[in-house]
Amino acid sequence: MQAQFSKAEVASAPEGAVVHDDATAKWFLISSVAYFFIVGIIAVIIAAKFVWPDLMGTMSWLTYGRLRPLHVNGMLFGWLLAADMGLAYYVIPRLCGVKLWSEKLGLATAILWNVIILGAVVTLLAGLNQGWEYAELPWYLDILVVVAWIMFGVNILMTVASRKHQAMYVTIWYTMGCILWTAFVYLTGNFATLFATGTNQANLNWMYVHNAVGLIFTPIGLAIAYYFIPRASSTPLHSHKLSMVGFWSLAFVYVWTGAHHMLHGPISQWLQTISIAFSVMLLIPVWAVVYNLFATMKGQWHQLRESVPLRFLMSGVVFYLLTCFQGPMHSLRTVNAIVSKTDWIPGHAHMAVLGCFSFFAIAGTYFVMPKIFGKALHSEAMANWSYWLLMVGGLGFFVTLWLGGFWQGWQWNNWSIPFIDTVIALRPIWLVRFVSGVMMFAGIVLFAYNILATALGDDERAAA
Amino acid sequence: MFQKADNNALWAIGLSLALFFIGGILTTVVPPLVDTTWAKPFENHDPAKGITGKVVPLTDLQKKGRAIYVREGCWYCHTQQIRTLLADTKRYGWRGVDAPISTPDEFVYDDPHMFGTKRTGPDLARVGGKYDEQWHKTHFRNPRDLVKGSVMPPYPWIANDPAEFKAMVAYLQNLGRGKDWRPANDYEK
Repeated sequence: MQAQFSKAEVASAPEGAVVHDDATAKWFLISSVAYFFIVGIIAVIIAAKFVWPDLMGTMSWLTYGRLRPLHVNGMLFGWLLAADMGLAYYVIPRLCGVKLWSEKLGLATAILWNVIILGAVVTLLAGLNQGWEYAELPWYLDILVVVAWIMFGVNILMTVASRKHQAMYVTIWYTMGCILWTAFVYLTGNFATLFATGTNQANLNWMYVHNAVGLIFTPIGLAIAYYFIPRASSTPLHSHKLSMVGFWSLAFVYVWTGAHHMLHGPISQWLQTISIAFSVMLLIPVWAVVYNLFATMKGQWHQLRESVPLRFLMSGVVFYLLTCFQGPMHSLRTVNAIVSKTDWIPGHAHMAVLGCFSFFAIAGTYFVMPKIFGKALHSEAMANWSYWLLMVGGLGFFVTLWLGGFWQGWQWNNWSIPFIDTVIALRPIWLVRFVSGVMMFAGIVLFAYNILATALGDDERAAA
Repeated sequence: MFQKADNNALWAIGLSLALFFIGGILTTVVPPLVDTTWAKPFENHDPAKGITGKVVPLTDLQKKGRAIYVREGCWYCHTQQIRTLLADTKRYGWRGVDAPISTPDEFVYDDPHMFGTKRTGPDLARVGGKYDEQWHKTHFRNPRDLVKGSVMPPYPWIANDPAEFKAMVAYLQNLGRGKDWRPANDYEK
């Protein structure tokens, strides 16, 4: 493959090599890391509110019902999706052997994205909430999201169209899939819902919510994992065929499962059954991906001791396997009757979005930022600490909520226990969740500081 | 077919969209066409056919209360659905009467839908008429004055604003009333 360099490394680039500007990637990544930190504060506050319910309780804009959507939207769109987009701006030109189609368009996208996130902060705190999960933002911000997504999509797709290498690596398919599916999934969840009510609207809403994870964060997250795992370990991908199985089965299976969010609820039984059947089939794309990535690391596991990005990546793969085993199991009617609507669910959701996809994005950011700036990472020790804090805090969060949620569901099914007793029973669980949350936040602080110090530091050593 | 997508971007795009749209259309556009109860408001006046009642659109005051419910994010912690589980019908029943299961025809006028996903607090699908106005006032001011151990935030800005409070109570007292599930004189106002 042709040699490729970042602009910062241009002095060492041989004649004729592709030199990447990476300005768009840089700005997307820096702003996303900033939101990761800011929204992390919100996350710790809402965890604290479960332990001390009167905390900041007299100001309407600091109440749980206002902060929770800010936490969810801020983490999903301010941090994770923006970080994923930033990494795509870095990865795709390299896999295509050409420069990004337009850095100017990319920078405009970065500015627009920040306008959207700041708009979201103001509107959500003011209580301008549309009332649909993951689609809380008012319609004028939704339109800006669509515009920004088209700008991102055009830039990436034009880069792919002008590629030098004809064969497309799996990361390129997943990124293209994400761009296209997101467009339709987002339109369904934010605009089609305007023309429906009741159960019909809920069905569209759940199609969006489920596929926001399944067809937005999953494909772009896997695109990143498929690029950085072989890259960070200098090992070729185990099997191209298997990656095709994973991709095409994901494309077909994922979209059918939205109604599993309303199992036993006011929605047609036959639709519930379809969603259950397809939820179980999700094991196919997941296990294909996980096996492929594990097999890539065969004989290379010792590298995890040395490389923090690789450790984040492979921990993310393990969490992906676990989350996507839980998902199909929750969709079974008997299991669902216990865990649905309990605290188990946030435990599950955080393992997907934090444990898996955020770990991928953190790994990518750690890997890429020193290269973009042409410097060594500010502190390897700090990166190591950020891993352990996020890992131990994360596990504390997930596991206690599973235990607590299961217990809660068990109690709910015995209707002689008053509801309030099932709330009081969970107080120790919420205290542990708060402490774990503080640990995770400490990990985020170290990560954000490390990245910022790398960007701003005057250390001009070339990255290894 | 799939091999070709390796080298041809347009082919890859077309194929991934085609696969997506099969499931996408069959699970979003088709169900409301097949299952017409999703769009037909509940109405039954014949006790022989089961529970009676009629679902009607909300009054302006109830709509205002509903907007507050949406604005404050009440739906993040309270669901509005009695599921097809014995535990739900028993737990959310009242004075010995089981709560009827929620059906799609009860929610035709709900926009945005408020089914919810998480029960940090109890389900509210049938809360209408369970507690009187004074109870709600005290409870909004500080939930822990009435329910020891509750983790619900206080909402003094609702309790202390007569217009908002009235609208809120009007909305809550109407929840689940489309079905006449309890003796008529048993509902609190």
